[in-house]
Amino acid sequence: MTAVAAAPRTRRVRAASAPGRTRESRGTRLGLGLAAWAVGLLFVLPLVWMVLTSFHSETDAASPSPQVFAPLTLEGYRSFFGAESGANPWPTLINSLWAAGVSTLVVILLAVPAAYALSVKPVRKWSDVMFFFLSTKFLPAVAGLMPLYLIAGRLQILDNIWFLLIIYAAMNLPIAVWMLRSFLVDIPPALFEAASLDGAGLMTTLRSIILPIISPGVAATALICFIFAWNEMLFARVLTGVTAGTAPVFLTGFVTSQGQFLAQVCAAATIVSLPVLIAGFAAQDKLVQGLSMGAVK
Amino acid sequence: MAGLGRFGAGAFVAPALALIGLFLVFPALWTIYLGMTDYRLTGLQAVDPSFVGLDNYEQILGDPAFWRSLRLTLVFVLASGIVGQSLLGFAIAWALRRLTGWLKSVVETLVLAAWVIPASVASFLWIALLDRRGGTLNEILGTQGTAWLIEHPMAMIIIFNIWVGTAFSMLLFSSALASVPPSQLESARMAGASGWQQLRDVVIPNIRGHILTNTLLITLWTFNTFTPYLVTAGGPNGASEILAVYIYNTAIPGGQLGVGAAISLIMLLINLVIALGYLRVGRARAARPAEATAAETAGGAATS
Repeated sequence: MTAVAAAPRTRRVRAASAPGRTRESRGTRLGLGLAAWAVGLLFVLPLVWMVLTSFHSETDAASPSPQVFAPLTLEGYRSFFGAESGANPWPTLINSLWAAGVSTLVVILLAVPAAYALSVKPVRKWSDVMFFFLSTKFLPAVAGLMPLYLIAGRLQILDNIWFLLIIYAAMNLPIAVWMLRSFLVDIPPALFEAASLDGAGLMTTLRSIILPIISPGVAATALICFIFAWNEMLFARVLTGVTAGTAPVFLTGFVTSQGQFLAQVCAAATIVSLPVLIAGFAAQDKLVQGLSMGAVK
Repeated sequence: MAGLGRFGAGAFVAPALALIGLFLVFPALWTIYLGMTDYRLTGLQAVDPSFVGLDNYEQILGDPAFWRSLRLTLVFVLASGIVGQSLLGFAIAWALRRLTGWLKSVVETLVLAAWVIPASVASFLWIALLDRRGGTLNEILGTQGTAWLIEHPMAMIIIFNIWVGTAFSMLLFSSALASVPPSQLESARMAGASGWQQLRDVVIPNIRGHILTNTLLITLWTFNTFTPYLVTAGGPNGASEILAVYIYNTAIPGGQLGVGAAISLIMLLINLVIALGYLRVGRARAARPAEATAAETAGGAATS
C-alpha cells in the first residue's frame, strides 16, 4: 500500500488511459499476486505430499525427511487394491459410489419439479415453503443422529446402504431446491409466454425450454450433492458396519491399522479423494451460488 | 404460462417436502422427546426408558464439562470461522482480484482442493503432518518429539479448520469483489483515495450483503462441524471437545442417548438464535436504499 501512496500522479494518468487496470503500481500487484500464490501453495502442500508419497516405495515413504526425488512406483496402489492388508477396499468404494450417486439422482428428480413450482409459477405462500426448506439446514446433523439410529435399530436396517442413501437425499434436498431456484428465476418470463402462445403444454415447456437452459445449473447442483454425500462421515460412521461401510469410514480404519505403511495409506487417501476432487473442480464456478443457496447471486 | 395449477404445483413440491419431513424434521422432533427420557444405548434403560422431564437439562447445566465445551465452541467459531476463514478468504480474494484467467483460477483451485476432500483424508494428512515422531512439521521446525495434538489441541483443530474451510469464503468474496461497480472505484481513485480508503468507503459498503451471508453460513457450519473429532477426538481429556463432539462422545461411546439428545436441542436453539440474529441485521439492511441490491445484480451479470 505504501507503493500506492508514493506514486499517485503517474497512477492517475495511467488510470485515465486504461480504466480499472492500474489501481496499484506494477510492483504492488506483482507482490499481491505472489503472496496469493504462496498461500495457494501452502494450502495444497499436504495434498502434494499425499499424492507424491502414494507413488513412493514404503522405505522412502517411511523416511522422516521429505523424499521429493525418490523413484516413483505403483507399489502402494498395488498393495492397496490387492488387499494385502486383508481389507478389500472395493466393497466400500462401490458403497460410496452407490450412496452418493443414487442419492444425488433422487435429489435431482425431486428438486427440479419442486424448484420449478416454487419459482416459475409461485404457489401461494411459496416464500413460507422456501423458508421451510432453508430452516432445515439449521438443524445440526448430530441432532438427527440419535432418532435415526433408533429407527434403524427398530427396523433392523442398521448397516444398510439404502437407509444411508435416503438420509443423504433428504439432507441434500434443501440445498438443491434453493440452488436450482436461483437458476430458474433467471429465465425471462417472456420465454414462457412465447411457449404458451405457441400452444406448448407443461411437459413440452419443461423438456424443450426449461431443461436446456438450466442444465448447467442442474449439473453443478448434482456435483455438489455428490460431494456432500461422498464426504459424509457422521452418519456413515454410526449407521453402517461391515457390509454398508463407505469409503471415508473405511479409510479412517485403514489409517489406524496400516498407519506404518505410509505409501499404501497415501494411495488409499488419494483414491478416496479422487472422485470429489474431480467433482469439485467441475463445479468450482457455481459452488458459491449453490452453497449460499442463491443468497449472493 | 405453462399450465401448472395449484394442485399441480402442490404435486411438484410434495414429494420433496415428504422426504425432508420424514428424515429431517421428524427426527428433530423426536430428539426433543428423547431429551426428556433416560434412554441409554445398552442396559435396562435401552429396553424400557422412562420419562424424566427436565432432569437431563438440570444435569447438563450443572455439568462443568458442558460449559467448558460451550466455551471451546465459542473460541473455535470465532478463531477458525469468523477470523480465520473469513478474513483469510477475503485477503486471498483481495490479492487475487486483479489477476485474470488461469493465474487466478489455479490458485482458487489449489485452495478449493483442501475444502473438497473428505474429512477423513484431511484429518489423516494433519495427523501425519503433526506426528510426534517422523512428523513433517517437527522435521521442518527442528522440534522433534513435540506432540502438537496433545500440547496444543485447540490451536491445532482451529488451524485444521481454517485450512479446510477457507476456500468457501475466498470464492464468495471473489465473486463479491467482481460485483463492485468499477465506476465507483474509479471516482474514488480520481479523488485520491488510498487503497485502504477505497476498501473502507467503496468496497465494503458494496459487498455488505455478501459479508453478512458469508458470516452467517460460516458461523453455522463451524458451530455444527463434527470433523475436528477425527483429528483429536475431543481430547486430551476434553481439551478440544467442541459441542458436536461432546454430543457424539456422550451419546454414542458414552451410551447416554437421552442426555445427548438434550444437548442437541440446546445446540439447535443456539443455531436458531444465531440465524435470527443475522436475519434481523439483514432485514435492517434491506430496509435501506436499494443500492446494494443493484450492485448485487450487477455482480451476478459480471460473474455469470
